[in-house]
Amino acid sequence: MRATTTPSSLTRLLALPPPLRTRTFSVLSRPPPNYPGHIPLTILERLSLAAGSAIGSLAKPYRHDLIASLGETTAKPYFLSRLHRAMLNNPTGRRILRDRPRITSKSMKLEELRQMPENSVGRAYAAWLDREGVTPDTRDAVRYIDDPEEAYVMQRYRETHDFTHAITGLPVIIEGELAVKAFEFANTLLPMTALSLVAIVRLKKVERQRFLEVYMPWAIRNGLKAEEVINVYWEEELETDVEVLRARLGIEKPPDLRDIRKALREQKRRQKAEREGSGAGAG
Amino acid sequence: MASSPILMQSPKLIRRLLQLPPSLRRGFYSTASKPEIYDVVCVGGGPAGLSLLSALRSHPSTERLKVALIDSQDLTTSRAASDTRVYSNRCSSLTPASLKFLQNAGAWGKVEARRVQDYHGMQVWDGVSGSRISFDPLNGKNGAGLLDALAELVPGSRFRESRRQYETGNEGVVATMCENQNLTHALLQRLKEAGGVEVLDKTKVESIQLGPEPEDEKALDLSQWPIVTLPGERQLAARLLVGADGANSPVRNFANIPSHGWDYNQHGVVATLQLDHAFAELDRRTAYQRFLPTGPIALLPLPNNKASLVWSVTTPLAAKLKALSTPAFASMVNAAFRLQIADLTYFLEHMDTIDIADELSWRLPNTSPASTGLPQSLPTVKAVQEGSTASFPLRMRHADTYTGHRIALIGDAAHTIHPLAGQGLNLGLADAQSLASSIAYGVEHGMDIGSPWCLDEYVSDRWAKNNAVMGVCDKLQKLYSVQSGPVVWGRSLGLGLVDRLGPLKGMVMGAAGGVR
Repeated sequence: MRATTTPSSLTRLLALPPPLRTRTFSVLSRPPPNYPGHIPLTILERLSLAAGSAIGSLAKPYRHDLIASLGETTAKPYFLSRLHRAMLNNPTGRRILRDRPRITSKSMKLEELRQMPENSVGRAYAAWLDREGVTPDTRDAVRYIDDPEEAYVMQRYRETHDFTHAITGLPVIIEGELAVKAFEFANTLLPMTALSLVAIVRLKKVERQRFLEVYMPWAIRNGLKAEEVINVYWEEELETDVEVLRARLGIEKPPDLRDIRKALREQKRRQKAEREGSGAGAG
Repeated sequence: MASSPILMQSPKLIRRLLQLPPSLRRGFYSTASKPEIYDVVCVGGGPAGLSLLSALRSHPSTERLKVALIDSQDLTTSRAASDTRVYSNRCSSLTPASLKFLQNAGAWGKVEARRVQDYHGMQVWDGVSGSRISFDPLNGKNGAGLLDALAELVPGSRFRESRRQYETGNEGVVATMCENQNLTHALLQRLKEAGGVEVLDKTKVESIQLGPEPEDEKALDLSQWPIVTLPGERQLAARLLVGADGANSPVRNFANIPSHGWDYNQHGVVATLQLDHAFAELDRRTAYQRFLPTGPIALLPLPNNKASLVWSVTTPLAAKLKALSTPAFASMVNAAFRLQIADLTYFLEHMDTIDIADELSWRLPNTSPASTGLPQSLPTVKAVQEGSTASFPLRMRHADTYTGHRIALIGDAAHTIHPLAGQGLNLGLADAQSLASSIAYGVEHGMDIGSPWCLDEYVSDRWAKNNAVMGVCDKLQKLYSVQSGPVVWGRSLGLGLVDRLGPLKGMVMGAAGGVR
């Protein structure tokens, strides 16, 4: 039995209690990392990083590292936990969390994917990569999420972003990216996806109109009614037929954006040629 | 008693009888047996009824009352089990006030002390938000520290003396875990030692009615007295009939006292658990309770490496839990204390299809204790005692009043409560204490103990207090069944505040401990 020492009751009453979840530490005494690459941030650091990333990624959209840090600093306290819970509620999601598969250029060999059956997810993914001229680069590693499992959820979301592109067929130009981001917001609720939509201001008038009329409604409608895309075990679905997967998830394929743009370009060129031809003919 | 065959055979006897005065003649003609008059007849041999009779036998004013105890079970075979490795799954948490009452009634000394466990701390936390409250009297972390500090400033003052009255002598004990059969056996031993109680066990009450109208003015008028009819035509007339006969009390039905309340659609699953490490006799023990949206789960310490589980779950989940194998059940208990709610919901939904131990061994390292508010000292459950898993339905009932003319209700007959605060048996014992003191007061002042003047004191003492405790437990149950939203935020804030405000926490503990 311990001796009953009574500290001054008044000081105990007035002592500020430590908050349950927010970690209060100083930059001079950062706690040890929870996983390799982890950087714990104070609240002020997190807020300023979020603000800076938001402004920076709007000004320079090719800065993928700013988009990554924006995503990580705005995902807590609620949204990433909600996504994590959505994975825990689903049997496939739980298997993903247990196995922790990573999508890298090494794990997804393009040569194998190109050999896959026609109209399979793997083939569509390879075809999309070839069409857009990108590779399955290793995405930025998650650094600012404290819980290791939630950090993996964020990493998984980042790595499967290209698959979402592949099965919807949306290209990597800004308009396509915005459409995918809108879909992801309706599906995963991560704030970074909603914040990226601010980039609508960077679209040309015609593009903006098209986006707001066609792609945004498509994205919201499908994102809400579809199953959680984070729960798809892509490594196992590579041989599944794309139509079958889309039907299972509840996603409709949007109008092909590259085709629309190409058709519009053709139309403009023809109109220009006609105008010049008639002008030349008249002149 | 007259029997016709004897009379008919002897005309001489008949002539003799006709010469008797009417009052004596009547005794031979009536075939109805006269009821035996008792001062107190207690129907129900549970802890509440037994403790009432022990208290009556221990008090000098009431020890000469003629009392009877009626129970349908066999009370002579009740004995405390001797194997200290096996514990019954029906255990109760006795507050210091209840212990004091049992000591004064002379029963606590007869309890098997090796099978009783004090606990000195409590950790209660919210499963959804992780906010927690801990009671730790040994470290002086709760209690009215400010008032005590002020009282210590003036030695010898009356104020200081008044703070002393909260000392119970058993410093730092929050409550004591005792098996129900241990307590019942001790009470029966006490009654046997004190003597003077007619114990009618294995006896089912056939009916309870008011007595017959008297034949003339001079005859004994039992028309306002409850007459208990037992098998074999035996009748007991009770000056005061005490109903300690459980939730479906026949005495309460006889008295036409309605009882209101509702069912919780939950079952309380109980079991005896084996923990991962053993505790020595003088070690500090702690009780743990986690509030889950499906209902609270509590781990209450028993001697050595044992513990008692009380887990309130919805009825279909209770059935599934009882159907699990014992290793799976042990893993489920560990999961219920340690995992996040989303995880636990998955476990509860799929417990019949997944490998619980395997899934748990994966989830535990990936669940940070800070995110669930897990207390560090919580022991792991290693195994479940075979055959100790059982469940009982949970409901709240409160009788409209506890007394009628020559009727008093105590214990579960008067009120049924949710087990989340461990108050059920304690309220019953407090009822018994109050009724015994009302009866003693009545005897000392020459009152008829069955009359309202004597019994009103009991009702006015207990009804409001019981109602308050039941109300609080019911609202706590409803408050903690919410899974998300502002209610969770509000209750976490409130719990955190109570945890930090010493005097408030002391008040809460004092109310829960029933210190008088």
